[in-house]
Parts: sequence; structure tokens; C-alpha cells
Amino acid sequence: MSEDVIAEIKRDYIFSLAAQGDRADGRKFDEYRPISVEVGVIDKAEGSSRVKIGNTQVIVGVKMQPGEPFPDTPDTGVIITNLELVPLASPTFESGPPREDAIELARVTDRGVRESGAIDLSKLCIESGQKVWMVFIDVHVLDHDGNLMDAASLGAIAALKNTKVPNTKFGLGEDVPLPLNDVPVAVTAINVGNAILLDPSLDEGNVAPCRLTVITNKEGALAGMQKSGVGTLTPDQIKYIVHIASEKANVLREKLEGIQ
Amino acid sequence: MVEREVVVPGDLLGEDPKLASHGTYVQDGKVYSANYGLVDRRSNIKVIPLSGRYIPARGDLVIGKVNDVTRSNWIVDINSPYEGLLHVSEFPERVDQDNMSKYLHVGELIIAKVADVDPSMKVELTLREEHLRILRQGRVIDISHVKIPRVIGRNGSMISMLKKELDCSIFVGQNGRIWLRGDEKMVDLAIRTIFKIEREAHTSGLTDKIKEYLKNELETMRNQK
Amino acid sequence: MSKPEKLIVDGKRLDGRGPFDMRPIKFTAGVLKRADGSCYLEFGGNKVMAAVYGPREVHPRHMQNASRAIVRYRYNMASFSVEERKRPGPDRRSIEISKVSREALEGVVMEELYPRSAIDVFVEILQADAGSRVAGINAASVALADAGIPMKCLVSAVAVGKIDGEVVLDLNKDEDNYGSADLPIAMNQFGEITLCQMDGHLTEEEFGRALDMAVDGCKKIHELQKQALIEKYGQDITPDVAQPIEGGETNE
Repeated sequence: MSEDVIAEIKRDYIFSLAAQGDRADGRKFDEYRPISVEVGVIDKAEGSSRVKIGNTQVIVGVKMQPGEPFPDTPDTGVIITNLELVPLASPTFESGPPREDAIELARVTDRGVRESGAIDLSKLCIESGQKVWMVFIDVHVLDHDGNLMDAASLGAIAALKNTKVPNTKFGLGEDVPLPLNDVPVAVTAINVGNAILLDPSLDEGNVAPCRLTVITNKEGALAGMQKSGVGTLTPDQIKYIVHIASEKANVLREKLEGIQ
Repeated sequence: MVEREVVVPGDLLGEDPKLASHGTYVQDGKVYSANYGLVDRRSNIKVIPLSGRYIPARGDLVIGKVNDVTRSNWIVDINSPYEGLLHVSEFPERVDQDNMSKYLHVGELIIAKVADVDPSMKVELTLREEHLRILRQGRVIDISHVKIPRVIGRNGSMISMLKKELDCSIFVGQNGRIWLRGDEKMVDLAIRTIFKIEREAHTSGLTDKIKEYLKNELETMRNQK
Repeated sequence: MSKPEKLIVDGKRLDGRGPFDMRPIKFTAGVLKRADGSCYLEFGGNKVMAAVYGPREVHPRHMQNASRAIVRYRYNMASFSVEERKRPGPDRRSIEISKVSREALEGVVMEELYPRSAIDVFVEILQADAGSRVAGINAASVALADAGIPMKCLVSAVAVGKIDGEVVLDLNKDEDNYGSADLPIAMNQFGEITLCQMDGHLTEEEFGRALDMAVDGCKKIHELQKQALIEKYGQDITPDVAQPIEGGETNE
């Protein structure tokens, strides 16, 4: 996802600003860009959302259909998460099969939903060992202006909150809301010099040596984590990020309140 | 004989950055090993690698193999991540550029000198010096270039012994390629011996061991006649 | 095995280990002929072979970087490495693991010394127990050193997990199956974290302890990696290996 070669003056500018406690767009270190969450944006989907963080924009669609369970979990539904970095979202994205950046984003989004137990998969069994609900979460990136990770993750849980199990369509009774147990939220931080910045902009993300995404559940416990990029973090930096991430997640979670 | 210690990347070697030399790096005023190798503290601190690919440097004498011919260059494999370029102007005679392969064609071996290496690792070769030439006879083997100093031996003692005992011509390229010519049986034995030196390069008393080995092998060969 | 009632009994785990103990670990450096560097590692039930080729020419050429070497890392599970046959070839899991593992190692490799070249790291999981990705990183790090690639230091990795509500070091397969969290960590010699992933459920306090535990585990593994490299050459090293090269030789 890197824009490959970053002009050195841009890098120096971001680092020197951070050293003075500042960011290029004037935000505080732990401040997110404006966030908007809409749901029900795609009628054909069982659930959908459009999430914007600043100019970054993703659409998430959830489709459900009956399918075969895995042999070792005959009574539980199946989650399949996919993410595409389509060429329309950035001059650096190319068409073709998903590359490792897209796969990583999809898998970390999936990890948050799965590990927090957000979906009550035990209620998605139609016929034990034969038929369960498959939940397809498809993240479509429309505009990449930094921090896709948090946008994808927030979009996924918003779309899931919006999802109705399409029982009618398959002759299984009334449509009901998808049973959810939790609301996992991802918060991504980068280190720029000694500064820890949340919600990196495109330029900040490109000059940062690495990023750390921390996914917490509604109790504030960790459900998933991913360091991405070549750079390093000290154990103390990681502990600090974990701490502020779980606080900040509560702020993001408020954006999802009342959504259905 | 001083035992020299094996170090690995990251081993702390000293506290004086002024002593840092090849195979080391300095961080926070301390000298660390950048390589897996043997540490040498005789004049400064350096680490002699025990393995690794040949990286060309200006002035190296190498054996190259012509891999491709363009209108102005021969592209030469020098047993390295980087190919060497032999420009027509570095060929010892005037070249008709419409017929480059007439002078030197794909698959031929040359003894060349590394004339220049630029920071992006563009490697320029030359044939315009004494001893540099095309190798049209003999045999060639590849060994690890870090073992070359052992094949040469202290002040050339090992290689001189091989040449003298086996009556062979031998050229040792710094890129780990060795060319040999002489009586077939003798060249066979020379190659076996060089591989033995490569395998046992890190053991002590190597010259004596090799002398003994050659003596026995020659003895066996004479008895077989 | 089916889920046992308890995974920790009287402070001991089912394989007899305490919470801070790792499984048996054995590194062997330089085991392959053709590779520039290699390492075979047995880490509990994991059997891992790592090979390094390079620096070498980059194909396709457009992947070249004019100012440094590129590092490529391929984590691959053999189809026979797990209970149920794995379909051969890369899947999404292995692509992600390859990416983060490469990133865990890339920072210590002195890439700027070899512009336009590639350093290829191949990690084959011949038998998988829990923690195959950290085992792969440990073996790859030794193989890179064995290949003579200049590096700032080695990288060591270990996972911490949670079983029966207790944070413990280095889960085995059964613990992993029934455990409630997994935190793979890689660290360089200077204590900087180069890989950090987590799934499952950990409170902030548990996470802090788990990370400290991983740091200690990595330090122990680092010692074993160093030992393996030193052992490859045994005791019989002599000083005159270090003869400088004074040009080629010919008698013509």
C-alpha cells in the first residue's frame, strides 16, 4: 500500500512537526479525522455501510447464504472476509488478484470480528452438519487517503449491525437481525520519531516505519493485534498504544450507537 | 597460534568506534559485528565472513563467463549478484561492432579485471592489461569466494605447492572461480585438492594436511601405472 | 485430542512444563548444499527448514530497487505437515504470514549494501505444531546469517498464549486449540519488537505480562541461535583463514 518513493522533504516535514507536538493537518496526536458512518447504503446486500475517516472511504457489504459448515464445527455459521484495493481508490492500486496488503487488511478485519465473538455463530445453524449461514463480509475501498485498516474494521462491524438474516429469501421464516454479541473496534497508531500518532493520514502512514493496529472489544479487552511494516516498536511503546487504543475505541464505538 | 573467535551479527566487539572496520558497524558509540565470521583485532576490529556471495570491487581479478553480447558490450557472469560489462573499448584489439561474437562469444571464459564499480553496482570489466585474456582451453571450477585466501595460502604458498607438485597452470579468480590446465589426471587431482581445501578451510594445519594428501594421492597414482 | 477438563494442573501444563517454559528447541545451521545459507529447526513439534539465496539478480527486473536489496520471504506449509492434508500452494494465511515475517526480518538486514539485488528467504514448514510462524522467523534469521548476509543482529521470536485463564509461554498444539489467546512476538537483539500479532482475548494487564514473557523467551532463543552458528564451525578455527587476498595467481 506504500506509495513507494516518498519525497524526503515530506518525510522531514512530518518528523519535525511531530517532534514539536504537531501534525500537518493540525490534529492532536490522538485525534481522529472526522468519522461518518452510514448504513443500508446497498439494498441488494443483507447489510451494508459506508464509512469515511477524513477522505478515506470504504463501502462494506454483507451477504448471507446457506452453505455447508466446516466438518469440525457442524453447528456454527461461517465468516468469510474479503477486501479489495480496486484501482479506482488510488493511483498506486492495480487490478489483478489481491496482493499481500489487501490480504493482510482483510485478515485483520476478519480477526477483529471473529476473535471478539462479535457474531453469535451458534445461532446461525440451520441444520446441524448440513446447512449453516455463511456470512460474507466484503470490504470495498473507494478512496484511500490513509488508515484503511480502521475504516475497513469500522465498516465491517457497522455493516454487520445493519444485517438481517434473509430467512424469507430461502424459505426459512421471517427475516431477523443478525445476532451480535460484541462490537470490536480497531485503532491504528504509528510511531514518528518518538511520537505516537493515531489515525495516520496517507502521508503520515507512508513515512512511518510501521503501524500497530489494536482491536478491542466493548469491555476494553484485546481481541486482535497486528504490527505491519518493517520498523520496530519498543515494548513500552506497544503497551502505551494498547492503553490509548482501548480508550479511543470507546469514542469510535459511539459512532455505531443506534445503528441497526 | 591464536584462536580467533567466531562471532554472529550483533555481537558487541568493542567500545571504540574508531577501530570499526570491515564487517562491523557502529551504533550508540559501540562496535558490533555485521557478519557471521571470525573477528580480527590485530590492528583494528574487523570481521572476516565465513560465507557470502562475491561482491566485485575495483581492481579484482576475476574469471567471467560471457552470457550475452550487445552492440557495444559483452555481458559477463562473474559469479556474483551483479553481472560485469565488458565494453568494446576494453577489448585488447579493434573490434568490428557488427560482428562482436567473432571476437568473444556467449559461453566463453575470460580472465578480466574489474575496472570500475559504481554505487548502483554497475560493474565494468577490462581485458586491456597483461595476463588478462580469453580462456579457450583447460577447466574451470567454482568454490566459495571466501575460501579463496586459503587456496592461495600465506604468500601464495598453497597455490605454488599445487602448481609445482602437479605441474599445472592454475589461475585463481577472486570471485571464487578457478581455472586449471595441465595433464588430465593432474588437473583432476588439483580439483579434488581444491575442493578439499574449501571443505577444510577453517581447520588448522591445513598446508601440512594438503601436502600429506598430495603426497599420498601421487603415490597411489604412480602405483596404479 | 478432545478438550481436557484442565490444561494446567497443579501449576504444570499437560506436557509437564511450567508457565515460563518453552518446548525443546534445536537449531542446526548450514544443512543444505545448494542454498547460500540454511537452518533446520525443531521447535516442539514444529520441523522447519529455512533456506536463503542471495543476494542475487532480481527477476522480474522491474522489482529491482536501485538503492538497496529487496528481501522476499515465502512461508509455505507442506501438504503433509498437518493432520488433514493441506492443499499445496500459497493461501491467504500463508501470504499474510510471509508478509509480516519478512517485515520482522527486513529491518536488521543491511539491504543498502546490495542495490538492485534480491535476498530470498524460503521457509518450509515440514511439520506444524503451534507457533510455526515464529519458528520460521527463528530459522530464517539463522539462515540469513549463515548465508553471510550482513545484518545488524539476529531476530528471535516466540508466542505467548492464554490457557485456563493463565498467560503462558509458547503454546503447543493442544493448548493452542483450546487456548483463548495467541500473541506471536519477534524481537531484535536491542529489544525492539519487529513482529507483533494477537488474536483471542487478553485484558490490558494480561497483555503487559504476556509481552514481558515473550521478551524473556526471545532472549533465550537468541542464545540458542548464536550457539548453533558458532557450533557449525566447531573448535578448529585457525587465524590464517583471515589471509587478505592479494590478487589472483598465475604461473604463465
